Amino acid sequence: MTALVVRLRFRMWWTAMSRSSLHLASSVLGALGALGTVLILGPGIALLAARPVELTSLTVPLFAFATLMWVVLSLVAAGVDNVLDPARFAVLPLPAPRLARGLLAAACTGIPAVMLALLALAQVVAWAGHPVAVPAAAVAAVLGTLTAVLGSRAVTSGLARVMTSRGGRVVGAAVVSLATLLPLVLNLVLTTGSVGLDPATFDARGSARIASWTPVGWAWALPFDVATGDWGAAVAHLLLAVGLLAVLWRGWVAQLEKVLTSPMTSGGGQRIGAGRLLPAVLGHSPVASVAARRIRAWYRDSRLVAIALRTAVLPVFFVAQAMFTGTSELAGVGVVTLGIFAGLTLMNDLAFDGPAWWLHVATGLRGWEDRAGRALASTVVFGPVVLLTFVVAVALGVITAPVPWLAVVLAAFFASLGLAVGVGAYLPGTAPRTGGNPFAATSGGAAQGCLTALVSFVGPVVLVLPVVVGVAVTSGRPVGQLVVLALGTGYGLTLLLAGIVVGGRRLDRRAPEMLGQLAQAQM
Amino acid sequence: MTETGQGGPALELVGLVKEFRGRRVVHDLSLTVPRGSLFGLVGPNGAGKTTTLSMATGLLRPTSGTARVLGIDVWADPAAAKAVMGVAPDGMRLFEQLSGRELLRYVGALRRMPRDVIAERADELLGILDLAADASTVVADYSAGMTKKIGLAAALIHAPRLLVLDEPFEAVDPVSGQAIRTILRRYVATGGTVVMSSHVMELVEGLCDRVAVFAAGRVLATDTVPALTMGGTLHDRFLDLVGAREVAGDGLDWLGASPEA
Repeated sequence: MTALVVRLRFRMWWTAMSRSSLHLASSVLGALGALGTVLILGPGIALLAARPVELTSLTVPLFAFATLMWVVLSLVAAGVDNVLDPARFAVLPLPAPRLARGLLAAACTGIPAVMLALLALAQVVAWAGHPVAVPAAAVAAVLGTLTAVLGSRAVTSGLARVMTSRGGRVVGAAVVSLATLLPLVLNLVLTTGSVGLDPATFDARGSARIASWTPVGWAWALPFDVATGDWGAAVAHLLLAVGLLAVLWRGWVAQLEKVLTSPMTSGGGQRIGAGRLLPAVLGHSPVASVAARRIRAWYRDSRLVAIALRTAVLPVFFVAQAMFTGTSELAGVGVVTLGIFAGLTLMNDLAFDGPAWWLHVATGLRGWEDRAGRALASTVVFGPVVLLTFVVAVALGVITAPVPWLAVVLAAFFASLGLAVGVGAYLPGTAPRTGGNPFAATSGGAAQGCLTALVSFVGPVVLVLPVVVGVAVTSGRPVGQLVVLALGTGYGLTLLLAGIVVGGRRLDRRAPEMLGQLAQAQM
Repeated sequence: MTETGQGGPALELVGLVKEFRGRRVVHDLSLTVPRGSLFGLVGPNGAGKTTTLSMATGLLRPTSGTARVLGIDVWADPAAAKAVMGVAPDGMRLFEQLSGRELLRYVGALRRMPRDVIAERADELLGILDLAADASTVVADYSAGMTKKIGLAAALIHAPRLLVLDEPFEAVDPVSGQAIRTILRRYVATGGTVVMSSHVMELVEGLCDRVAVFAAGRVLATDTVPALTMGGTLHDRFLDLVGAREVAGDGLDWLGASPEA
């Protein structure tokens, strides 16, 4: 059974790659990136073997942090590989634990999991200086890697289920926001545990001891405990680590059981209010109707709720970091990033509609109306968030030059919106299935992923550059800064208009072909 | 637009061809649907019914050939053609995050109808199709039959002159099925035209006045129902035309309630 599921996963992978060269390219690039990470970090970790225990102990906070990031990133950024959606196994006579074993094995064959496993092996080598700790390090590598992989599965599937109901989405929102701040907190705690960065006096044992008593550090603490002769702590950590794995496993199997017995529920009998507010504010034109539908989706559709959270939470992270470290630029960059991310969320907006988009085609809706409606919706949803973050950052004193930064933020937001509505009409991208796991990874292995990612990374930077130059030139001249603010906003709005026109024309010309692409856009 | 006034067929397909990656699934297909008729398309799975209807309604670009709706070329002036027809495709998803009522209002707004007219018609359609109690439930939570009915309502709300329905009775309960039949008959009696596909011969025979038999991307026969069936049943005539395969007798011997070994 386990081997069968793993083979199925490779089969689907192979089919996807052989059908699309873009998919192949993005897989190869992903593998090369992972290989590079292992080649750079792996020897670095393994070389700790030649160092005294004060330095070797670094593996404990390092891997505890990696495990935490693994789980948090699966919630916040990357998502989990959902090629083998458990709901598809619902009609087969499979008990959940057997399926869970297969799915776990398949998850461990993914590129990121293999990367983590290789780094964990480097960690075993790192403890070679203390022969008695090597077996403990090997056990730690297995338990720790499993904790990371299983933890991300259990947390995302549990949260996905919770977020099918309206109240649950609020809970999910809170959990995801708090989870994002966890690494920051852990980071602070660990840095207070170590004394200075001078290699001669550096002692990681303090932070190792602190990290060893966090759930993500239990497994990784084993070799440290053994090497320092603290056998009592070693036994305690072993029991805790195994116990954590058991709890995660039970939690995940319970989720799988629910998915297998009720694959199609979406909360059930979800009733909604009359919805008079949005039409009253926006009006009744086709553009306003499209906008109102997308705004409703931003809080009704758990897939979009997940995206909105990832978008809003990551830059908050920047601002918080800026406050702790006292670098003003970091906060400004954080708000600009938020503006760019918020604009780019429209990039795969069509994929979220998927085949349902036929309704726009069949009613003869003009392409520009589709584009403008979506841009309006994103402005209504994210505009206040961007502005609020900016105002808070200014009020807290972490942004010291408000006018130039505001010019860049506004230009970045509108330019990214324009880029997304324009490019989105050519490359609809992919989205998790309607009603599916909102934390399913969609960008990593997907076709078009490479091209879209390239456009998303390079595009906004290039588009914002003129405004940044304007800001640099007018530095220290208040009147000039105000002119740049006005020009920058106008420039951004012009780009948005261009995106709507270009994207709209494309949709008018190629609507049936786009419909064909959208039939395969949800995974 | 001059041809849309009087006479002329409601739907005219001339030499339609569709190829997917070099594989031809619709072969030089021509079909004429007169105004005021209730026209049924029947054919086995994979005969090209849905592909043809998609090409006729502007959802799938034909490789070659033309489709005209009330004299308007669908692929030369899609917006004008789409304005006069209502479409309910089979198996295409709807915007599931909207409630039934919101979906109807959304479609009405996209079609630029006045607000009070939308509200009035939406309530009437929801009542007749027995969806009033679920008007505030999101479409994601609708059953298959309810989804079919709300799709039909969305196709009707702007009072189109041609209605194109793909499998409109699939998964619909008998009571709602009767309501839909009544709606379609009344619609045709007042000058509307319906083109619908179905697998259920009895239904097409009882409801439609004209029928076309599809197989392997071609029209095998098209006529009024009495002329086509010639006194027999549509079922038998269909099996004649398509060429029924005998299943009984060979194969699947293992299928059945055999005693436990």
